[in-house]
Amino acid sequence: MTLTATSFDWVRALVHRESAIVLQPGKEYLVEARLLPIARQRGIADVSTFVESVRSRPDTDSMRCIVEALTTNETSWFRDGDPFTALTSTVMPALLAARGPNERLQIWSAACSSGQEAYTIAMLLVDSMPSATTRVSITATDLSREMVARTKAGRFSQLEVNRGLPAPMLVRHFTRAGNEWEVAPALRRMVTATECNLAAPLPRMGPFDVVYLRNVLIYFDLPTKQVILRRVRELMRPDGWLFLGAAETTLGVDDSWERVVVGRSSAYRPIKGK
Amino acid sequence: MTELHDTGERRRTSDTPPSITDLIDEETVRSIVQEAWSALIGEDELLVPLPGGLPENAVSSWVHVAGPWNGIVVLTCGRSTAEQLSRELLKEHAPPVIEDEDIEDALGELANVVGGNVKAVLPGPSALGLPEVGSAPVAGSDTRRVDLLWRGQSLTISVQGSAGAPLDQ
Amino acid sequence: MRALVIDDSRVMRRIVAGILEDLGYEVQQAGHGREGLDVLNGGWVPELACVDWNMPVMDGLQFVSAVRSNPAWRQVTIMMVTSESEHGQIVRALAAGAHEYVIKPFTADAIRDKLALLGLLPEEVVL
Ligand SMILES: C[S@@+](CC[C@H](N)C(=O)[O-])C[C@H]1O[C@@H](n2cnc3c(N)ncnc32)[C@H](O)[C@@H]1O
Repeated sequence: MTLTATSFDWVRALVHRESAIVLQPGKEYLVEARLLPIARQRGIADVSTFVESVRSRPDTDSMRCIVEALTTNETSWFRDGDPFTALTSTVMPALLAARGPNERLQIWSAACSSGQEAYTIAMLLVDSMPSATTRVSITATDLSREMVARTKAGRFSQLEVNRGLPAPMLVRHFTRAGNEWEVAPALRRMVTATECNLAAPLPRMGPFDVVYLRNVLIYFDLPTKQVILRRVRELMRPDGWLFLGAAETTLGVDDSWERVVVGRSSAYRPIKGK
Repeated sequence: MTELHDTGERRRTSDTPPSITDLIDEETVRSIVQEAWSALIGEDELLVPLPGGLPENAVSSWVHVAGPWNGIVVLTCGRSTAEQLSRELLKEHAPPVIEDEDIEDALGELANVVGGNVKAVLPGPSALGLPEVGSAPVAGSDTRRVDLLWRGQSLTISVQGSAGAPLDQ
Repeated sequence: MRALVIDDSRVMRRIVAGILEDLGYEVQQAGHGREGLDVLNGGWVPELACVDWNMPVMDGLQFVSAVRSNPAWRQVTIMMVTSESEHGQIVRALAAGAHEYVIKPFTADAIRDKLALLGLLPEEVVL
């Protein structure tokens, strides 16, 4: 049986309520493909039957599994390059100059997926500003429990290390662990991974000096983007830096940010008094 | 992850090479093959861990691994499965008629990719040989074998230690 | 931009060459390191060489050393594309002068990501 309209609408509403992710009509195939493995795991042959069974007797675990299955966790090392080179060329030097010698710096990888973004930042800091690393902590968060667990584990498949991780960094910071590669303990210690839903009131964290909020706003509608940008701003230092994905911007969404060019990339900084 | 179990057995036989079943488990072999298929054949190409029957005209390709562990990594499937695999590997670059040479080449390359990744899990350093194609060298008792179904057709991967059984002929 | 693809598997050569051609590269192929050197000696010196490791006649590591020992070929960026995936082997290839390393199996995206790192993505390619 293919996915019925009622089942699809119910999943759509659930996913929107729990994660703010907008599933456009026409994404039935996506729901079908992502939920089939979960249905099968529970011994149910098709997605509609599975969805209907959860709908008639909702349980939090199944609902959470459905929501998490509909997140897109595509990521890579040094994704788009420039937002990361900007960190060591411009952002960190500016922050180190502005802060006292013993002040801590906090970086947030919001929507971290399996952790490539957070460990990219950690490797860059260790390699190009080793003396600063003891002062920096990296917080990595994601909605998905599985992604948080993966970030904590710091283990990556062969296919994942092939995606944009420079070979010199691979050999310097990783060891083989069976068929996978495991990030060095020193890097893992720099990264703290926890669950965090950007679409809900944010926990007490920060204040952050740098925030990577990349390739996640694209999944949300305008009001949600506005709320998230405002909440993120509240967790940032007034002279902090925000990096968005290549297809994302604050322009036309939230006018309390100033867009600044850093190298070949752009960052957003809170406008004072807004 | 597989580890050497420090059993009395191992101490007693410390001068004989480690057994392949102590060095690599089925799940690791399966995940290596699955990654190769996902990347090279197609993202959604699932390999189902079920034994099927290999057809009579099955072909094999294999690579030697020489180092602390010695043996071969063998891929075996039916002739027509091999042809389909070649076509899927080449995708839009596939010629209208796939020649035997392409099929052998493709099958050899798949053994090379799987073999290289199996080798990296085993104790190293070790050297990887060039792929060979033909009828499968007979497996001895020291074998880790994984049976899989790809699009309903069977293929097997076996990691065969050279200790305990003759490899060729 | 030009790329030389060296692999003893012609199927693999076609796959790698196909990915590079889709990115706008002009590609030549060679079946082992010596054939690759012949191409360079013939005056066709590319920006990029994608090289397998285990090949007959001359393997990828020997090819890398040969290219690096000739200053006229300094502009050639070398990317190993091989199923050799032991940590120590990757270190050896980099020490010999390879710039990047792609482990087989790979996807077209992996090749593209690595070229982006190397600054070797042709300009007209939109990410
Ligand atoms: C495409 S990935 C981006 C990963 C990384 N930032 C990058 O740029 O490569 C999007 C991630 O956002 C997460 N996500 C989706 N909705 C979320 C929400 N409401 N709160 C927190 N994370 C969310 C998903 O689980 C997924 O891991």
